[in-house]
This record gives sequence, C-alpha cells and structure tokens, in this order.
Amino acid sequence: MHHANHFYGHAHVLARYAGLGDRHPPRINGYVQHGWNIGDGLAPGHPYAERTPSLLWSEQTRRRAWSVGRRNVVVIGAPFSYLLAMRPEDPPAEDREGTIWYPFHGWEGQHVKGDHRKLIALIRDTEPGPVTVCLYWHEYRMRNVRRLYERAGFRVICHGYRGHWWKDTDPEFLDRQLTELRRHRRVASNRLTSAIFYGIAAGCEPAVYGDPMILSNEDPTFGGTARIRRQWPQLHGTTVDLTTAVEIARAELGTGHRCTPAELRELLGWANLQEEEEDRDD
Amino acid sequence: MTTETAPADWITLPGGEMLAWSDLPQDRLANGGPLAALAARLVPPGARVLVAGPHDPALLDHLGHAEVTCLLRSHPDAVALAHRAARVVVGGPAGLPDDETYDVVIAAAGLDPVESVEGARLGWDAVLARLVAAVRPGGALLLRVDNPLGLHRLVGTTPWYARRDDSAWAIGGVLDRAHPANRDQLRERLSVAGLLPATCWAAYPDVSTPTALLDADHLDRDAGSGLFDAVLHGACAEGFTSATVLQDPARLAVDALHAGRAADLAPGWLTLAHRPADPTGPSTPTADRDLPVALVQTGRPGIGVLEVLHGPSGWRWGLIPTNDARTPAVAPFASREAAYRDADALSGPVPSGRLLRTLLLDAALRRDLTTVRALLHGYAGWLADQADTDGRIAGAAALAGTDNVVFDGERYAVLDPSWRAAAALPADVVLARGLWRFAAGLLTGGYAHPWSSTLDVAGLTVVLGGLAGHDLDRATVGEAVEAEAAITAALHGLDAGGTVDLATELHAVAPTDPPVGAHSYQQLREAWLRQREELTRLAALTAWTEELLTSRERALRRAEATIGLLSGSLSYRVGRLAITPARLAKRGARAAKRRAVAVLAPKQEEQQ
Repeated sequence: MHHANHFYGHAHVLARYAGLGDRHPPRINGYVQHGWNIGDGLAPGHPYAERTPSLLWSEQTRRRAWSVGRRNVVVIGAPFSYLLAMRPEDPPAEDREGTIWYPFHGWEGQHVKGDHRKLIALIRDTEPGPVTVCLYWHEYRMRNVRRLYERAGFRVICHGYRGHWWKDTDPEFLDRQLTELRRHRRVASNRLTSAIFYGIAAGCEPAVYGDPMILSNEDPTFGGTARIRRQWPQLHGTTVDLTTAVEIARAELGTGHRCTPAELRELLGWANLQEEEEDRDD
Repeated sequence: MTTETAPADWITLPGGEMLAWSDLPQDRLANGGPLAALAARLVPPGARVLVAGPHDPALLDHLGHAEVTCLLRSHPDAVALAHRAARVVVGGPAGLPDDETYDVVIAAAGLDPVESVEGARLGWDAVLARLVAAVRPGGALLLRVDNPLGLHRLVGTTPWYARRDDSAWAIGGVLDRAHPANRDQLRERLSVAGLLPATCWAAYPDVSTPTALLDADHLDRDAGSGLFDAVLHGACAEGFTSATVLQDPARLAVDALHAGRAADLAPGWLTLAHRPADPTGPSTPTADRDLPVALVQTGRPGIGVLEVLHGPSGWRWGLIPTNDARTPAVAPFASREAAYRDADALSGPVPSGRLLRTLLLDAALRRDLTTVRALLHGYAGWLADQADTDGRIAGAAALAGTDNVVFDGERYAVLDPSWRAAAALPADVVLARGLWRFAAGLLTGGYAHPWSSTLDVAGLTVVLGGLAGHDLDRATVGEAVEAEAAITAALHGLDAGGTVDLATELHAVAPTDPPVGAHSYQQLREAWLRQREELTRLAALTAWTEELLTSRERALRRAEATIGLLSGSLSYRVGRLAITPARLAKRGARAAKRRAVAVLAPKQEEQQ
C-alpha cells in the first residue's frame, strides 16, 4: 500500500467503516486523497505508480485530476465523512464552547514563513470565547512555538502524528480531531484547509483569517493561497455564512459520494482478501 | 400478349420468367413476422390482393381471407407458392393483365425484384406506375423502399458498392437517381404516381426480414420513448448476432432514435399509400388511425407479433399470437424452467418514460454519480415494493432489468410484461441480476464510466448496489449470475449441460472482454485497448512495487544489522540472562493454556 494511504489513520478509518474492525488495514488498490487539495488530489512530490486508481474526495477534484492527465479517478468522499457516518451523534450546542484554531502548517519538509505573535494577537482580538490551538505534530514538538501559544492563554493540543513510511501512524488521529472539533463552537485557521472543512462537517462555524504564512518552497502549480482566496472567497473572513459553508464542505468532502461498506471494499480492493492478509499483522 | 398456362392451372406465364432463379428469402421469421401481421391487417376479408415480388410464404398464409394473385419472376418460386395463391403470374410487371385491378397491392420486397432479368428494364418509376395502375381507385399499396444510407450499410464490413453475388446484376445505391433515397423523395414519387402517401414504418434491423416495424412519424417525434429504445436495441442486437460489423448496430440505432433520426437511419421503409377513390365511391379508406404504431417480434421464445396500438389513454399492447409449431410457447408452471413468456400479459397500456438502461448509461458517461444514485435508489425501491412479505419478487417484476424498465420521472414500470419468472426470486437477487446485466453491458461495451478499471463485473455490481442503497455481497451477485444463466437457458431452451456452460461463461465475463453477440470491429478494438491499458497499469504497478521492495529490503537489512549489533552487546547478554526464567515460565503457561483449551473445546461443541 502507498504509505500516504496511512496518513492520519485514513486507512484505519476506512477499514473500520468497511467492516474489517480495528485490524491493520489491508493494502488499498489505489491512492486515497489524504488532504483537501486544489490540485489533482495527490500530494505533489510523492512517487505514484501510473494508472493506479486515485480515490478522491470530490467531483470537482475528479474533474481537475482528469484535466491534468490523471485517469482511473474515482470519487469516494473524504475518510473524515466515513468517520462521521460511524460517529453521527453531534453534541448539543450548549456543550460546545470557544474556538479551535489551526495555525497553518506545512509538513516536516516545509518551513512556514510568518509571525506567530501577530497571529496570536489577531486571534485574541477576534475570537469571542476560549481558544484551543491545534498545532501540527512537528510544530507541537517545537517548544518555542508551543510556548508562544501557551503563554497567550490558549489551550494547545496536537491530534497526533500523521505517520511516515507506514511508521508511527496514529490510527486515532481523525477520531481525536472529530472529538475536539465537536467540543468547539467555531473552527478557524489562517488558511482554508482540510481542518476547516472537517470542522464545518462536525458542526462548527468556520472562519479563515490572518496571515496565511506562505511556505518558503510552496509549489505554485495549482495557484497556491492566492487561488484559494479567489475561488472560495465566501469561506474567508472572521464570520462566514454557515449555510454556504455547509454546502461547500459537503461538496469538497464528497459527503454525498460516501460509499456503503460493500461498495468501499470493492473500490479499495478489499473484496477478495487473501487469508494471510486478513490476519493481523501488527 | 401470349399467355402460356403452366401445369398447374393457376400459374400464368406471360413471358419473362426466370427458370433458374429463386428469390424466396432463406432467413424467415416465425409466422412471417411483423410484415405478415401488417399485411393481414391491411387486407380486408374477401379483398383482391396482388402480392408483387418474392415474399415469405407465411405472408401468403396470413392472407387466406383474401383472393391473392402473386407476381413473381422466378418460376421455381411460383411452383413453390402456387398452392397458397389463387393465381400466380410469373414474369416481369409487364405480364400483369392490363384490365385487372386489386384492392391492395403488396410490394414488400421492393420494386427491384419485381423486374425480371429478361426483357426491357423498366426502372423504379415505371414499375411503380405499373403497380399503381393495378390498384383500384380507393385501394392501397404497401411498398418497401430500401434506404441507401441505412444502418445496415453504416455497420456493414463490405461496402454496398462492392457486391458480387448473383443478385447483384444491378446494384442500387445513393448514386442511383431512379430510386427514392429518403422518405421525402419517396412521398414525392408516390404523389407523382397519383397516390396519397399514408403511414410509413421504419423496418429494423433488416428490411427483408424486419423484426420491428415502427411508425416513422412517431419515431421522429418520440425520441425519448423507452418502448422504441428497447425495441430498436433488441431488434438490432438480435439481428446481427452472427455477423461481423464495423460498430454496434444497437448503439447506433438507439443514438439515431435519441437524435430524432431513427426513421432516417432505418435499413428501409414500408410505406402505405392510397389511390384516391372516385369521389362518389363508398370505400375511401379512413382506417389508418387504427394501424399499429409498432409491430415487433421479440424472443426467444417467440410468442407472436407484439403490436402497439393507439388507445384512448395512450398506447396499449396487443398481440397476434404465433401459430408456428417451430416456436412452441413455453407452458407456464408446466416445467421446472426458470422463466417463460406469458402472451396474456400483453393487453394493458404501454408505460411511458425513458428506458432505465439509457438513463443510467447517460449518467455514467457524464460521470453524474448523483443521477446514477437517484435512479438506482428509485429502481431498487420500486423493486422492493414488488416483493411479497417474504422478500421475494414474482412474475414480470422478477425479470425487470434496466433494459425492460421505463422511468417517466416519477414512476418505474415494466415495459414488456410478457417476460416472467416461473418462481419468485429473492428481491436482492433480482436487483443484483438487473445491476449485473447493466454492469456487464457497460464494461464490455467499452463505455466510459466514473469507476476505476480495477473493478470486475461483480465488483461494479456491488458498487452499483451501494449506489442503490443496498449493500450487496459477492455471494448475492453470484446467485444473480446463476439466476441469469437459468433464466436465459429457459428462454433459449438450453439443456442442463448448456445451462452449466452458460453460467460458467457468465461468471467469467471480464471488463476487458468484448461484448457478447455481434463482433464489431469498434468494440473488439476497444476491448484490446482496455487490455493494453490494464497491462500498462499492472506493469507500472510491478515496477513501483519492485522499487518499494528494494527500499524495504534495504531498510530491513539496516534493521537486522542494528539487531545484530545490539544482540552482541554485553548489556543485551546480561538482560537476556535475567529474563530467561520469565520466558520459560511464559512458555509453560502457554502450553498449559493450549492443553486446557483442547480439553474444553469438544465439550463446547457437544453443547452446541
């Protein structure tokens, strides 16, 4: 299986939904889109075998992927929407409080340019209630960055490690993220990212504001942050129209394309598992 | 004119007969098919009829209520048909008695075979003029005209202009100005000849033995008709089963229908025209509105000719039952067959709406999963409504696949209710069978679709089931394939061995196969391209896997080196010595547990 399929425990969520239990997920016959993406759904820079199916979140991504030469592209919806199907019970509104704020992160190989202090000041001025800051794993481990947010009086958390080369993937990553999102009334970030869409789907009011913190080596192929702001202006700002946001999140997460367990088993290549594959292997 | 009387009194030889020639069609439909049924409808009892040109003898059998004169150029044919007609004139059209007229003249083989190779060639217009002269005022002419740009020519592997067979002493085509080349020209020629053109039927899939005669005006107007869609697809799929063609004739016919051009692409037309009656004459025909919109022979097994007639609330089914001993109707419940056809079911209204298969194909091609989901949800829900309390579906609904179900935007309905299951089937098997048939057609037909190439037919069936809101498993799909084999075997009269072979074939249908049926170059090439694409995918996957394996092996070697290094260290040896008692104790505990389990297990089984 491509190691990116394991990121954020996506394969684990899909395996649970497909009725395979908490076992180690079998190999997926394709690449599962592992984050909201304004390109072809696959992370640039990863090696992929040509013509292997891309299992994408949304119809729009499918069209875009096709237009840049990808074939065998199938829309299955985001793994997060499968998690929602398994944990459908939204908490009552009075149990939600404050904002969960995701400062934009790159992954390990990328370095974010930007001023965390300015961002902290902006968050304080904007957010009406208590703020939980969720840092990406490598920033969470950077003591100075973490301290900055802690000293601002924010609760600082991390959902876990997304994993790398099949190692140390946190199978509970998405579960933990959903639990946290459901504790908050608002979800915010300085960039429109997967977390914002997850938040909307989990019942939070979204907001996208502040310095988008451009990556030092950001890939401009698909237009970058500037394009995101052009294409989804309705999701940017300190307050966003919720109905519009819910509609867009539904489309981007492909909630309407969520497969049934048997359907998913077929699309992921899990319908005819070999016996040894069905054994727990870790 | 000299007239010689042949051995049989009723054969007249006015000259021009062909002594070593036969025109009688080799391929004949049971009971004469739709053409004979139409002829029978047009001829009132006691009428005088001229059947000009070679026709299926069964057509003459249908005209037993009339006084029939045949005009044939072939003497052997005349001998073969003599006992079926009151009189047979053998020769060219010039041999017709000048002073005789007929109530109905039938030239359903066209005008070309009315002319003999002997004597002067008259040409299309002159032959028409001669036949028109033979129609009494107020009478009718039923005339076949071949379409030089018909579907048969578009799918044919041999070009029309390259024929070398015995009947090709003259070849008609678009270059021939004497022939009308389209329906407008035909109407004009008929008018010039003094006739009033009336109903025109498009003949599919082959103008000499059409299994479907469809009202051309309705074909132009009702481009979305599920009935026409199913009939054209069925007729063209069945009509070319043993042929090699350039492209799928069924696809082309249905595409033509949706473009409002199915009548224009028909291999030929049968047109009815009236000779104006004397204004004072009482017998001016006014009954055209009672003529069928469609006459169709479907099978196997055949049950006769299905008619679609105008009713007070739309179209309704009618049936002219077969009396042909070659196709005995399968007796319902008299055998253990899985399916049969019920002629009595064809009496109600023809449901309107578009054919579900077409709607689904269209949505799949447009990658419109939302529409696919909505349609399949509706279909599955409708099937579930047909189930009894045990969750089983009986009768026509049990065989209701996407190619026999129409959807009008609100309701689903079985189009032709004569196809019936002998015993009720579980609802999920009925659904799986419908979806499997659609999936097999979609994949082997080479249609673009929104799913990955890694799905096999059963896999796509499960995926379609998911879109329909039903979590089908592969075992159910397997049952559905077995049911499909049993149903097809029953309808085609296969024996037990044939049924087993068919089931094996159906289970083995792969997405890279060409479709079952006609061998079309286009579809064979597409199947080859799919195979090539699949090989390229697998080769890329293998290369990627090799590369990955190499890197993982390298990682493993590094890990092994580390383990080797660590296990040689002093701290490892001391630690190992320290935990040895614990390891031994653990091993002993495991063995004890195993023994205990072995002792307990049989007792538990006994309790169960």
